[in-house]
Amino acid sequence: MIEVAGLRVVLPPSTVALHGVDLTIARGEFVVVLGRSGAGKTTFLRCLNRLVEPTAGTIRVAGRAVTGAGALAVREVRRQIGMVFQQFNLVRRASTIDNVLAGRLGYVPPVASVFGSFPRADREMARACLDQVGLGHLAERRADTLSGGEQQRVAIARALAQRPEVILADEPTASLDPALTSSIMDILKAINVEQGLTLVVSQHQLETALAYATRIVGFRQGRIVFDGPPKAVTPTVVRAIYGDAP
Amino acid sequence: MTRAVFFVALVVFAWLAWDTGADPVRLARGLPWILDFVRRMMPPDVSVLPAALAGALKTVEIALLGTAVAAVLALPLGFLSARNVAPRAVFYPARAVLNFFRSVDTLVYALVFVAAVGLGPFPGVLAVVAYTTTSLAKLYGEAVEGVDPGPVDAITATGATQLQVLRFGVIPQVLPLFLSYVLYRLETNIRAATVLGFVGAGGIGFYLQTYLRMIDYRAASTVLLVTVAMVMVVDAISSRLRDRLV
Repeated sequence: MIEVAGLRVVLPPSTVALHGVDLTIARGEFVVVLGRSGAGKTTFLRCLNRLVEPTAGTIRVAGRAVTGAGALAVREVRRQIGMVFQQFNLVRRASTIDNVLAGRLGYVPPVASVFGSFPRADREMARACLDQVGLGHLAERRADTLSGGEQQRVAIARALAQRPEVILADEPTASLDPALTSSIMDILKAINVEQGLTLVVSQHQLETALAYATRIVGFRQGRIVFDGPPKAVTPTVVRAIYGDAP
Repeated sequence: MTRAVFFVALVVFAWLAWDTGADPVRLARGLPWILDFVRRMMPPDVSVLPAALAGALKTVEIALLGTAVAAVLALPLGFLSARNVAPRAVFYPARAVLNFFRSVDTLVYALVFVAAVGLGPFPGVLAVVAYTTTSLAKLYGEAVEGVDPGPVDAITATGATQLQVLRFGVIPQVLPLFLSYVLYRLETNIRAATVLGFVGAGGIGFYLQTYLRMIDYRAASTVLLVTVAMVMVVDAISSRLRDRLV
C-alpha cells in the first residue's frame, strides 16, 4: 500500500530531517511511527502526501507515484490519503458539517464547490462520516465551539469523507487531555479493523503505541532504528529509539 | 550614551522648530483672530442646510462607491502581495507597486483625476478607488500572511485544487479581517472625501470652500457642523458593524 525507498529530506537551509528511509507498509496494517520529537516522524508522514517535498527518493501510495507526480496526479493521490493532525486543523469559523464536507473537495466539481455547491451524494457522505464518529448531533455547531476531543473526531470524519485507502495521523492525541487518548485511538483502530484501511500514526508515547499498533517503526534522528511487532519492543529497542535519557 | 542621544534629539528638535518657524508667541498673538473667526461663524446660517446635506450625501456616496470598488479590486492584489500565497517572482514586484501607489494621498489622486475627467464627484470616486485599493491590498496581504497554516495544510491534504484551498482554507480565516479593514477604510475615506471638494472632486468640501471664499462664515459653519455630524454617524455605524465581525 505504501512503498518508500531512499527517502531523504533536507529542510532549508541545511537540516537533514530524514537520511534515506526505506519502508514498505502492506494493506490493513496499523503502523505506529514512534520517536522523540524531532526524530523525523512528522516530516515522514507529510512526505507521504507531499505536504513536504522530498529531496530524494521515491514514494508510492495505493499504487500511485507520489514523488515525481504532476499537480493533477498529486491531488489524485492525496484524496486517497486522509490526514489527521496534532492541532486538528479545522476551519474554526465553519460549521462541523462543512469541515467534514471539505473531505470531498478532491472529488466534487471544483468550480461549483468554490461557490458552495456540493452534490447531494457528497453531502450525505459527509453526514454519514460525522455520524460514524458519533457527532451527528453537532453538525451545525461552529467548529471552534467544540472540545478538543470532539474537534479531533471531526477531523477524523473529514479524513473518512475522502473515502481514503490510507489514513495518516500525526500525533493525533498529543494536544488532548491524556484521558481522551484512548477514545481517539479506539476510533482509529476501529477504522483499521472494520474498514480495512491502512493506518500510519505517529506517537511519542510508548504505551499507546504498544497498545494499538500491529507494527512499530522507530525513528531516531531521521533514521529508522527499529521495525517490528509491538512484542519485539524490548528495553534495548526502547533505548535505541529514545536514547539513554528517560 | 543616553545623554548623547538626548542632546542630539534636543538639537534636532530645536532646528525643526526654527526651520518651520514654530513660534508660541506668534500663536498667542494669532489667538484673537481665531476667536474672531469663530465669532463670525455664529450663529450658523441654517438656510444653507439643504445644500450642505446634499453635499454630505454626495460625499458619503463618493466614499461608499470608491471603497466598495476598491475592496473588490484589492482582493487579487492582496493575495499577490502575500508571501505565503504568491510565488516569490510575483510578490516582490506586487509589494513594490503597492508601496509606490500607497505613498500618494487621495487628494493628490483627486488633482490628477480632475485634470483627466473633469470636475464633479466622479474624479473623487476614482481618487478614493486609487488610494484605497492599494492600501487595502496591503492590509489584505498582511492578513493572508497571518493565517494559521494548519487548516490550509488540511484542505491541501484532501486533494483540493489551489483555488479550493484558498476558498476553504484561507478565505474563512481572513474574511472577517477583510471586512473589518474595509469598514475602517470607509471611515477614513469619509474624512478624506470631505476635502476632495476643495480640488473640484465633488461633495461637501466644495460647499465649505465656496462659502469660505465668499467670506460667508455663517454658512461655512453650517457646512462644518454637517460634516462633523456625518463623520460621527458613519463612524458609529461602521464601528458597530466591526464589533460584530470579531
